[in-house]
Amino acid sequence: MISKVNECVLFTNLHYKVEDNTWVRVNDDGTVTVGMTDVAQSLAGPVLHAKAKKVGTVRKKGRPIATVESGKWVGPVKSPISGEIVEINENLASQATLLNKSPYNEGWVVKMKPSALEEDLADLLTGEEAVKAYQAKVDADGITCTHIEGTEEY
Amino acid sequence: MSDIRLVDAGTVPFIRSQTIYHALGYTMTPDTPDTIVFARPESPYMCLGFFQDVEEELDVSFCKANGLPIVRREQGGGAVYIDDGQLFVQWIFHHKSLPLNVGQRFRLFVKPLIETYKEIGVNAYFHAPNDVHVDGKKIVGTGAVRIGEAEVVTGNFLFDFDFDKMVGALKVPDMSFKEEFANSLRQYLTTIRKELRSVPDVAVVKKTYVDFCERILGRNVVAGNFTDREIAKMIELDAKMQTDEWLFQMKKRRPEHRIVKVHAGVYIGASSFNVRGAKAQIRIRMKGGTIDAFSVSSDTPFLRKEKAVLERTLVGLEMDDEVLRERLGAVFPDRKNGTEIEQLLKQIRKIKNLKPNG
Repeated sequence: MISKVNECVLFTNLHYKVEDNTWVRVNDDGTVTVGMTDVAQSLAGPVLHAKAKKVGTVRKKGRPIATVESGKWVGPVKSPISGEIVEINENLASQATLLNKSPYNEGWVVKMKPSALEEDLADLLTGEEAVKAYQAKVDADGITCTHIEGTEEY
Repeated sequence: MSDIRLVDAGTVPFIRSQTIYHALGYTMTPDTPDTIVFARPESPYMCLGFFQDVEEELDVSFCKANGLPIVRREQGGGAVYIDDGQLFVQWIFHHKSLPLNVGQRFRLFVKPLIETYKEIGVNAYFHAPNDVHVDGKKIVGTGAVRIGEAEVVTGNFLFDFDFDKMVGALKVPDMSFKEEFANSLRQYLTTIRKELRSVPDVAVVKKTYVDFCERILGRNVVAGNFTDREIAKMIELDAKMQTDEWLFQMKKRRPEHRIVKVHAGVYIGASSFNVRGAKAQIRIRMKGGTIDAFSVSSDTPFLRKEKAVLERTLVGLEMDDEVLRERLGAVFPDRKNGTEIEQLLKQIRKIKNLKPNG
């Protein structure tokens, strides 16, 4: 299920850390996939480089799991959950703009084995709650999402 | 809003001109004031963007021979030569004090720089996405990074620039590429001295800049000092940022292709390839989406014979396959639709698609 707030796309089945603009998808195998939101890619602009931490890295929530560069700005992607990185999206090394074009699908950042999933998910927002929180955020901060050529259509 | 702290660090060791803003970012707490720093390195060095590979970007032997240490910053962008001809301006602000949108953040940051340049007689203007130009030439380069709770943005007043050191330190495929880069840099980069034929009093520049910051940001800028905690972090980072582990953390290889940035929108790219069993290389200076300069070298007769025509006729053309195919077909009418033309197009495409350094 997809919602849009100020042109910003949200998947209501994902769990969001709204202040860090990251999302979590819970997978059937017990891992979670983590990525940047449409809001994050809009604020950053076209991403030139992305580098995730190595597989095996253990991260507490709030710590960086990847670094991205857009234009001349470099910034972290903060982990919305605690756990171990078990897979990184290798495609981002050569096609960092996947983060812009497909933030919820091909542009995922890492997969993690969570260490306290239930507890961490309780801190995240999903469904209509996430949509409402994002609506408040984009209104307060005057954000309208923009999409580069080749962006996945929803 | 609260006052902004101004720290004029003066002339500092080369590494400190980078570690100041990193340290202020890492040590920022909710009580830390937004801070503007002036700093000037006492000796020259080469500075790499976070995602750059030292050995791909720099002629490390030249740097060693010329006493140029290498520093990797956490900011983005490309490799740059830095010396005391530049006055660094660094903003280390709480992330909530600056626009969330990176493009808007750069626009705000360059405003007082531009006004100051104008005040001293340099007709500077914003050049999207994040540079300042004078008559089509770059005079300010910027960089930004999120460190902890801080958003950092940096830029400079470029009083003088050692073009030869910059050209010498950058790794390029051959001497002709180096010459092209040197010419382009002189064509597309300017300095306060070049514009005014003299250098204004740095104290006046600083004072003017602070006045414009107060007006543009609507906040008082008040002189202050670094805290002991901030200085301790600088000392820690002075050491860390010179380790091989930090410097050589990025490894990339693109042996057949090379691209260097002159300024945003102007790049020089080269590609080596084989055509009819002979080695060939093309080099293109790209400006916007067009070919600004083109050169070719090859042992194969068909390219050698039409070298002069090629180097003249492709200039000014849009880097579009159809446009170029038609023009190449006119240069080589007997090879129209032939594999050689497609090979040339493929190399031009590769150069066009090489990711800029920032």
